[in-house]
Amino acid sequence: MLQIKNLTKVYPDGTVALKNVSFEVPEGEFLIVIGLSGSGKSTLLRCINRLIDPTEGQILWNGVDLSKLEGEELRKARRKIGMIFQNFNLIKRSSVFSNIMSGRLGYTQTLPSMLGRFTKEDIDMGKNVVERLGITDQMHKRADELSGGQQQRVGIARALMQEPELILADEPVASLDPVLAHSILKTLETLNHEDGLTVICSLHYLDLVQRYGSSVVGLREGEVVYRGSREDVRKMTDEQFKEIYGAEAERVGASIEGVVQE
Amino acid sequence: MQSRRVISKPQKESLVSPIIAAIASALIPGLGQILARVVNRGLIILASFITSAGLLIWRIATEGARYTGWKTIISKAYKLNPFLYLITILMIVTYIYAIVDAYLTARPGAKKSKAVGMIFMIILVFFAQGWEIGQIDLGALVRDADEAVPALTKVMWPWAKAISHPEEFRTSYVEVQTPCTDVAFPSGEPKTDEPYLIADPTCGVPSEVEVSLGTEFHVIGRNFVPGNEVEIWWKDSANREFHHRVDGDYLIVTPDKNGSFDISVIMPYRTLTPAAEEGVKTWQIQARQLISVGGAVASDELKLAVEKMIETIFIGMMATFFGILLAVPVSFIAARNLMSHSPVTMVIYYLVRTILNIIRSIEPLIWAIIAVIVVGLGPFAGILALTLHSLAALAKLYSEAIESIDSGQIEAIQATGANWFQVISFAVIPQIIPPFVSFTIYRWDINIRMSTVIGFVGGGGIGYLLAQWIRILDYRSAGIAVWFIAITVAILDFVSADIREKFV
Ligand SMILES: Nc1ncnc2c1ncn2[C@@H]1O[C@H](COP(=O)(O)OP(=O)(O)OP(=O)(O)O)[C@@H](O)[C@H]1O
Ligand SMILES: [Mg+2]
Repeated sequence: MLQIKNLTKVYPDGTVALKNVSFEVPEGEFLIVIGLSGSGKSTLLRCINRLIDPTEGQILWNGVDLSKLEGEELRKARRKIGMIFQNFNLIKRSSVFSNIMSGRLGYTQTLPSMLGRFTKEDIDMGKNVVERLGITDQMHKRADELSGGQQQRVGIARALMQEPELILADEPVASLDPVLAHSILKTLETLNHEDGLTVICSLHYLDLVQRYGSSVVGLREGEVVYRGSREDVRKMTDEQFKEIYGAEAERVGASIEGVVQE
Repeated sequence: MQSRRVISKPQKESLVSPIIAAIASALIPGLGQILARVVNRGLIILASFITSAGLLIWRIATEGARYTGWKTIISKAYKLNPFLYLITILMIVTYIYAIVDAYLTARPGAKKSKAVGMIFMIILVFFAQGWEIGQIDLGALVRDADEAVPALTKVMWPWAKAISHPEEFRTSYVEVQTPCTDVAFPSGEPKTDEPYLIADPTCGVPSEVEVSLGTEFHVIGRNFVPGNEVEIWWKDSANREFHHRVDGDYLIVTPDKNGSFDISVIMPYRTLTPAAEEGVKTWQIQARQLISVGGAVASDELKLAVEKMIETIFIGMMATFFGILLAVPVSFIAARNLMSHSPVTMVIYYLVRTILNIIRSIEPLIWAIIAVIVVGLGPFAGILALTLHSLAALAKLYSEAIESIDSGQIEAIQATGANWFQVISFAVIPQIIPPFVSFTIYRWDINIRMSTVIGFVGGGGIGYLLAQWIRILDYRSAGIAVWFIAITVAILDFVSADIREKFV
C-alpha cells in the first residue's frame, strides 16, 4: 500500500509542480496518471523514488515514509522500486547485458560491482529476465544499437532485476509507435497480473488508459482533479477525458489486435 | 518554421543640411555621417581615420628617426620609403570620399545606402599599410633563388649525410740509414698482398740548413689502392713524424691503376741538433694512404637525429601523460554542472576556468622559454612547458565532456538503489571515457608536433638539433632532422586518426 499525503513540490525557481496531492495505491494496482504536459506527472513519480525531494507531505509505503529516508535506507527502499523512463535512459555505450545487470547494483557490494562483477545467481537471474522479455539475441549489443521498443524492454529488464514491488513508469511509450506501445504496456500488464507488481504509469492516450488502467489519477497544474476506478475509466467519454486533459487528448488509434502476442 | 521578413527601415532624417554635413566630415571624417544620423558608419569612418593616421605618423617617425625637425623627418621618410606616398594618396581619396558620402547621406530623402565604396576604400588603406608594415617583398621570393636552391636541395634530399664510410690511414714504410756505413743497409722487400716501399739508395744524410741538400732517395711504392691519395711522411730516429714537403707543400702522390708510384724525395732537415743524433741511426720514409674499412654505416648525424627523435617522442608522451594526470582532477572542478550547487563552488569554478584560459592562451613555446629559465636547457624544460599547456587544454575539453553528460542515465542508475561509487562507474565513466580518449589522443598528437619545435627555444628534442644545424648552415644534417619530423608526424596523423575513429 502506497499512500501519498499532501505532497507538495516547489522547485527552486518557484514553480509549484505539485500542490497538496493525496491518494492511495493499493497493492497490485495498475494506476495510471494522466494530465497535460507540465501538470506534474513526472514530478510526482520522481518524488516517490526520491529522484526529486518533495517540499512537503508524506509518501508512506508499507508504513515507511519515503520522503524522510536518507543514505543507505533510501537506497534500500529504491531497490524495491523499479523505474522506467520515456527516453529509456539506458547507458548507451554499454552492452545490453551490462545495462540489465545494473539493476542489481543495490544488492551488490561496491568494489565488485565497480569491476563489473556480479554473483552467479545474479547473472543467471539476468539471463532469465532477458529470456522472459525476448531480448536474448540483443544481449551482447551496445544498448544504443537497439530499436526503441527493444531499448524499452531493456529498461523493463533493468527494473525487474531489482526484484521490485513497485514499478514507476514515466510515459514509457511516448517515444514508441502504437503497436510497440501496446506491446510494452502488455508486458507491464503481465508483470502486474502474474508477479503482482504494483505499477504507477503516466500515459497520454485515452484508449491506452482504458485498456490497461485499473485506476486513474488525473492531475492538472499539480493538483488531483480526477480519481476513478477501472469501471469509471471504462465509461469515460472523450469529453470527460478532454476535461482533465485539455484539447491535446487523443486516442492512439491502433487496436490491441494489431499487437503481435509474445 | 517562422519566416523572417526583412523590413528595410527608412533613412532617418538628417539633423543638418548636406553642406554642413560635408563640412563636418571635412573637419573630422565621419562627423558629417554622425550628424546625418548614420551613426555607425560615421563611427567606423572616424575610427578608421584615427587608426590609419596614427599608423602613418608612426611609420613616418620610424623612417625619419635619424633626422630632427619634423619637416626634415617627413620629407626624408617619404624619400626613404616611397610606399608612404601611396598610402597617403589612398587616405586623401578616402577622406574626400567621406566628405562626398556625408553630403549624399545628409540629402533629404536620401536612400539608405550600404556605403560599399567607402568600406572598400577603408580596407584598401589598411591593406596598403599592412603591406608596408609587413615589409612584404615578393621579389625576395625569387631574388636569391640561386643561393636558396642548393641549400633547399640539401634539406630535401639529405641522405648523402646519413651514411658514412669509415676510413683509416694505413701506413707503409721503408727504413733508411743515416749516415752511410761500410755495411750495406738492407732495403725494403717486395710483398705480395700488402703495400710496400723500396728505397734506393738505402742510406744517406739529411739536408743541412744553408749548407747542403740531403740525399735524394728514389722510392717505389707497390700494391697501394689505386687512385687513393698517398701522403709521404718521415719519421726520424727520435720517432718524430712529419710531412715531407716540396717547396712548402705536403707531398701527396696518387698511385696508378696498378697501385704503384715512383717518387724521389730529398732527405729533409733534422729536427734535432746533430749532436743528439750522433752515431748511426735509421729513419723511416712512410707512405700513408686513406683506405675505407668495412661497409657503409650510419653517420653520426643520423644516429644523433634518431636519438633526438626518440627523445622528442618521449617529451610529447611524458607531457601528455602528466597532462592527463593533472587534467582529470582539475576537469571536475572546472565543470559547470558539478560546481553550480553553491556560490562558493561557483567562485572556484570561475577561478579555475580563468586560470586555465590564461595558461592555454600562452603558446607552449613561450612556456618553454620560461621553463628553460627555471630548470635549464634540456628535455625536462620541454616536458614542463607541454605539460602545462596540455593540462589547461585537456582540463577544458574534459570538463566540457563532463558538462554534456546525460543526467537521465545517472538518474536511471540512482533509481536502482546504486550508491555514489556505483553511479560514477556505471553511469558517468561510460559517458566520459570516449570523449576523454578522443581528446587525449588529439592532445598527444599536438604534443608530439609541439615537441619537435620546442627544442628551438632549448626545450630538448630534435628541434634543438635542427636549430643548431641550421645555425651552422649544415643543411644536409638539418634535412635529416626535417625528414624525421615529417615522417613521425605523418605516422602520428595516421595512427591518431585511426585510434580516434575507433572510439568516437
Ligand atoms: N527541475 C525543474 N526546475 C524547475 N521547474 C521544473 C523542473 N522540472 C519540472 N519543472 C516544472 O514543473 C512543472 C511540472 O513538470 P513535470 O515535468 O512534472 O510535468 P509532466 O506532467 O511530467 O509534463 P510532461 O508531460 O511534459 O512530461 C512544469 O511546470 C515544469 O516546468
Ligand atoms: Mg514528464
